[in-house]
Amino acid sequence: MDGLRFDKLRILVVDDNQHMRKLVVAVLQAVGVRDLFESPDAEHAWAHLKESNPDVVILDWQMAGMTGLEFVRLVRNSPRSPNVFVPVIMLTGHTHIDHVREARDAGVNEFLAKPVSVKAILSRLMSVIDHPRPYIRNQTYFGPCRRRRAVTAYHGPERRAEQFTAVD
Amino acid sequence: MATNSDKAEIIIPPDTLQKKVGSSGGKLPLNPDVLKRAQRAMENLRQEFSDWLTLDIEALSKAFALFANAPTADNAGGLFRAAHDLKGQATTFEYPLIARVAASLARLMDGMQSWDAAPLPLVAAHVDAIHVIHRDRIKDISNLTALTLAEELEARVVKTLERASA
Repeated sequence: MDGLRFDKLRILVVDDNQHMRKLVVAVLQAVGVRDLFESPDAEHAWAHLKESNPDVVILDWQMAGMTGLEFVRLVRNSPRSPNVFVPVIMLTGHTHIDHVREARDAGVNEFLAKPVSVKAILSRLMSVIDHPRPYIRNQTYFGPCRRRRAVTAYHGPERRAEQFTAVD
Repeated sequence: MATNSDKAEIIIPPDTLQKKVGSSGGKLPLNPDVLKRAQRAMENLRQEFSDWLTLDIEALSKAFALFANAPTADNAGGLFRAAHDLKGQATTFEYPLIARVAASLARLMDGMQSWDAAPLPLVAAHVDAIHVIHRDRIKDISNLTALTLAEELEARVVKTLERASA
């Protein structure tokens, strides 16, 4: 991570538990992130998303009111979403594979299971920076490609009638 | 053969993050200096962990009192979230067995098909166990008494959920 400019990043941390927020923020500040925004719930995060304009969202799943999953669906699908492509790292105590699938199907980019470690936080952050995924839009889904490997690495028969679009 | 109904558009978003930050070239583990800085930040918070855990356990107790008084969906949801928070955080706060008991309580609350059917004595036993582990400062994951207690609670939750779904 030599020469990486974490000071250029804007990160929004959404968690209704202030201790977990403080922990994640402390780790991010230590690696040089300066523009950190905190939301105690998803409603607050959604209301202020345009002004916080984050490059990455780190989001708790279980919150009173709007859940993390509902927030991701709004970000990805609402006409009022300021950035449908913003990478979302889901921070959660849920570890069952069904939960991982549910998060993935809502449009989450990365899954960060609690208990968190410094390595895990930074590894997920680097993953969304180093390996940006193409986004898929079909009748039932919009969000990051749910295949873990790059679409260009796939050589088998295509089930999708694909159409590539680059967004500037 | 693809049809209109399964037509998918692949969109390449602007790669603003790499433009802003640069790339590690996919090299992990991380630069040791950066990692040490972040780990030091976590260590500096360690002295606050005990207070944080105390507050999280107080939040669980309050949520339990509300649920015991009125087992509504809202109060059950509050109790589930408090248990779920502890499940996720207590290990970081150096109490892995509290995380384990909290996970069992979260499983019970999440698994009951009807909130008001969650057996109050079993819920109370989880909350009491968390208080005892915290009061006696049991941080060792192999502590026999606490481990036996956690296993017993987990077994009762499994039986309760089996009965509820039968």
